[in-house]
Amino acid sequence: MTRIAKLAALAVVGALLGCQSPYAPRDIAMSVLMNKDLQQEDRFGLPAIATVFIPTTLKDAYNLGSPSGDVANFKSLIVAKLMAFGQDAASAEALASALAPDIQPVDLSQPSAFLNGRKPADDVITGELHLIFGSNAALNDDHVDANDTPFLTTFPYLAGPHVQ
Amino acid sequence: MSRKVALSLLLAGAVAIGVTRLIRASDHKDSMLLAGDPAADIADVYTFRSPTNPGNTVLAMTVSGFIPPPEASTTYFDPNVLYQWKIDNNGDAVEDLVIQAFVTGTGGHQVMHFRGPAAPSDIGATDRIINGSETAMVAVSNSPTPIVASRNGMTVFAGVRDDPFFFDLVQFKHVIAGEATSFRNPGVDTFAGTNVLAIVVELPSSLLGNSKLGVWGTTSRPQL
Repeated sequence: MTRIAKLAALAVVGALLGCQSPYAPRDIAMSVLMNKDLQQEDRFGLPAIATVFIPTTLKDAYNLGSPSGDVANFKSLIVAKLMAFGQDAASAEALASALAPDIQPVDLSQPSAFLNGRKPADDVITGELHLIFGSNAALNDDHVDANDTPFLTTFPYLAGPHVQ
Repeated sequence: MSRKVALSLLLAGAVAIGVTRLIRASDHKDSMLLAGDPAADIADVYTFRSPTNPGNTVLAMTVSGFIPPPEASTTYFDPNVLYQWKIDNNGDAVEDLVIQAFVTGTGGHQVMHFRGPAAPSDIGATDRIINGSETAMVAVSNSPTPIVASRNGMTVFAGVRDDPFFFDLVQFKHVIAGEATSFRNPGVDTFAGTNVLAIVVELPSSLLGNSKLGVWGTTSRPQL
């Protein structure tokens, strides 16, 4: 093997082993995660729903679970909580069916607005307080209607950080 | 008062008006397991049609909530965490496509790498980095000027931003503690002035498999 071929072979081996070679192809990230089995730690679908409806004792199980198990594992808890909030059985069942599985539904053929997707500017908390507390004006709106910093009209859309 | 102390008080007080547990944030500081692991703690997930290109969709995920201004430029992603959007195309609550993001590098010199959207090799709560080349990569932004990169019609960002979430959490805390019977008007945004680490992707909607989607975000770590 020529010296150049040996070096090339070495670079390939280095890349396969995950070495931080400066000669590695740019498309092969030397991530410590490569080829490892990874375990889910957290998940997020609908804002605040898991936090409100899943008891602390089940929170880790919820975060480690998958949406496909939500109806079987958690929907009855959501129904019970909604009824504790004062909803009748039928409306609690209907609302719980929209909240489990905990997934953000999006129809891209329609304008995005919570609960069709979620834009940063959407007042999701007030929307959810209305769902939970209905016409109870004391509790169905937190009267924080917008972000503290204007969102950008172009990518990345989120406002710049607060710095010192 | 530290955020954790505030959280404990919040938990202890969460008994009034039938609210046995509270909204601490959208999902910020999610559980005891995640309380010590902010880089894997998802604060929020956003999915929306691009305001600048009707054929594009924007996906955003925020983690590591409540970064104060002095720590804005020194709070980093964790190279041991895989950040993912999972996308269901057919309404069965099982992911058909994933978009994966992970950082390499340390400190203020991290690069965020993206793979997908593509079918995952594993379904459910066990994940692996999908095979194939990266679809995009971008240097992580540690300052107010966002570093943005585009490749193959996919535009990406990763770095510190203002927390886009807004909520009068403090008054909610008073309500559930029985110290108040209603929200304030006007309310006060508990998340004003705080930062998060954000990952934002804009890509052609045609890559997402269907016009009707179910989207959720996950974080994963190597199994011990």
